[in-house]
Amino acid sequence: MRVKIILALSALSGLILAWNLHTMFMQVPDELNQGAAFRIIYFHVPSAITSFTGFYIGMFAGVGYLWRKNLRLDAFAAAVNEVSLVFATITLITGSIWGRIIWGIWWAWDPRITSYFVCWLLYVGYFMLRRAIDDPTTRARLGAVLSIFAAIDIVIVWKSIEWWRTQHPGPVLEIRGGGGMAPGMEAPLWWNFLALVMLATALVIIRMRQVSMQREIDSLRRYAHAF
Amino acid sequence: MNFFRQSWAVASKDLRSEVRSKETVNASLSFALVILLLFSFAFDPSSEQVREIAGGLLWLVFAFAGTLILNRSFARELVNDCLDALISSPASGAQIFFGKCLANYALLIIVECICLPIFAVFYNVRLPQQLAVLFLVMLLGTWGITVIGTLFSAMTVNLRLRELMLPTLIYPMLIPALMGAIQLSGLLIAGEPLGADNQIWFRLLVAFDVIFTILSLALVETVLVG
Amino acid sequence: MPTSNYTFMFYGFLAAWMVVIIYVISIALRERKLRQELDRVKRMLEEREQETKR
Repeated sequence: MRVKIILALSALSGLILAWNLHTMFMQVPDELNQGAAFRIIYFHVPSAITSFTGFYIGMFAGVGYLWRKNLRLDAFAAAVNEVSLVFATITLITGSIWGRIIWGIWWAWDPRITSYFVCWLLYVGYFMLRRAIDDPTTRARLGAVLSIFAAIDIVIVWKSIEWWRTQHPGPVLEIRGGGGMAPGMEAPLWWNFLALVMLATALVIIRMRQVSMQREIDSLRRYAHAF
Repeated sequence: MNFFRQSWAVASKDLRSEVRSKETVNASLSFALVILLLFSFAFDPSSEQVREIAGGLLWLVFAFAGTLILNRSFARELVNDCLDALISSPASGAQIFFGKCLANYALLIIVECICLPIFAVFYNVRLPQQLAVLFLVMLLGTWGITVIGTLFSAMTVNLRLRELMLPTLIYPMLIPALMGAIQLSGLLIAGEPLGADNQIWFRLLVAFDVIFTILSLALVETVLVG
Repeated sequence: MPTSNYTFMFYGFLAAWMVVIIYVISIALRERKLRQELDRVKRMLEEREQETKR
C-alpha cells in the first residue's frame, strides 16, 4: 500500500513537473531585464516555500513527540527536517546561480539569503546533534527541543536581518519576486510548488520508514548482545 | 521566593568553585586576548576602518570567549556523577538552569569588563562618554548569550563531541542578539548618539532575552531529565 | 546576453536536479544497507536462539 502511495506521488509529481517545463519554456515569454534565466525562479521559490513548510511541520512533530513520547513522531520529524534541508540546499544553490546571472556575484549578503543561510546552518546543527546521540529516546527528546528553538529562531533571525540591511545600503538590485509578476507568469510557480510538495511527501514517507528501520536494527542488536 | 533561593544556591556553588580555582575565567581571558591579537593581524589596528567594525570585533571576542565558560558550565558536573546528584535534588531543572545562568552571566560580565579596556588600548578606540549605555548593551547582550549557551550546554553535556557541538549549535541561534549588540556597540563606540531608529535594536535585544529565557526555562526540564 | 543566460539557466536547473537525484540515490543506497543490516541481525538472533534451545 505504502509503495503504491509513494509511486503514485512520484509519478504525479513527475508529470506535473514535465508539463510545467513545457509551459515554462513554450508559453511564458522571456522577462524584460533578465532574459531567459529568470526561469530559475520556478524552482527557487517553490523550493524555499517547501523547505520552510517542512521545517515548521518538523517543529510541530517535535512538540508532538514531547507530548506523546511516540517514537514514530520522532522518525517523522527527522524525515521531514532532512527532506526540508535538501530543499533548502537546492534553494541556496539555485539562488546563488540566479544571483550570478542577475547581479554578477555568486553571493550577496542581503536579508533573505543571510537569514536563509542561518536557517540552513541551524538544521545542519540539528542533524549533527542527532548523529552524536546513540540512545533513541534521548535523540528524539533533544532533537525535538532543538527543532523548537530553531524554528522560533528562524523568525527572529529573519526580522532582525531585515532591519539590519535596511539600515545599511544593501546590494544595488533587490529582487522582489511575487508581487510584480504578471498573472500568466505566476501560475507555473504554484504548479511547481505542488509538484515539489508531492515529491517531498514521497521522500518523507520513504525516509521515515528508514529511520524506523534503523531504530529497529539498533534495538535488535542491543537485544542480541544482551545474551 | 523558593525558586530564587534554590537558584542562588546553585549559582553560589558554581561561583565559589570558580573563585577558588579561577580556571575558567583564566582560560576565557587568555583566549580573548589571543583572539584580539589574531584580529590585529586581520585588520590594520590603527586605521579608521577599525572604528566601523569595532562593535563587531568586540562582540565576536565576547562570543568566542564566552563559549569556553558556557561549555564548562555543565561539563564540570560530569565528574563524580554530580549532574545526577543535582538533578535528583529537590531543585527543579529550571532552578538548576537559572542558577547556572546567573553564575555564567557573572563570569562572562567579569571577562567582558576586563576585555573592554584592553580592546580600547589595542585598537586605539576611545571609550565613549555613553559608557553607561554601552554597559547596558553589554548586560542585555550577554544575557542572551548566557541563556542560549547554558541551555545548549545542558543539551550537549553528555556528547562525545561536546566542545565542537556547542559553538556549532549556538552561534546561528545567537545571531539576532549579536547583531543588536554589535549595532548598538558600534554606534556607541563611534560616539554617535542613539537616535529613534536605533531603539529597534534595544527592543530586539530585550525581546530576544525575554523569549528565549521563557522558552529555556520551559524546556530545560525536558532536556535535563526527559 | 541571451546565450550566456541560457547556459546559466541550464546550470541552475542542472544543479537543482543533481541535488535531488543525489539525494534519492543516497536514500536508495541507505535502504539497501539497512535491509542487509536488518537481515544480518535477524539471522544472528535466530542462530542465538537455536543455540540456547539446544
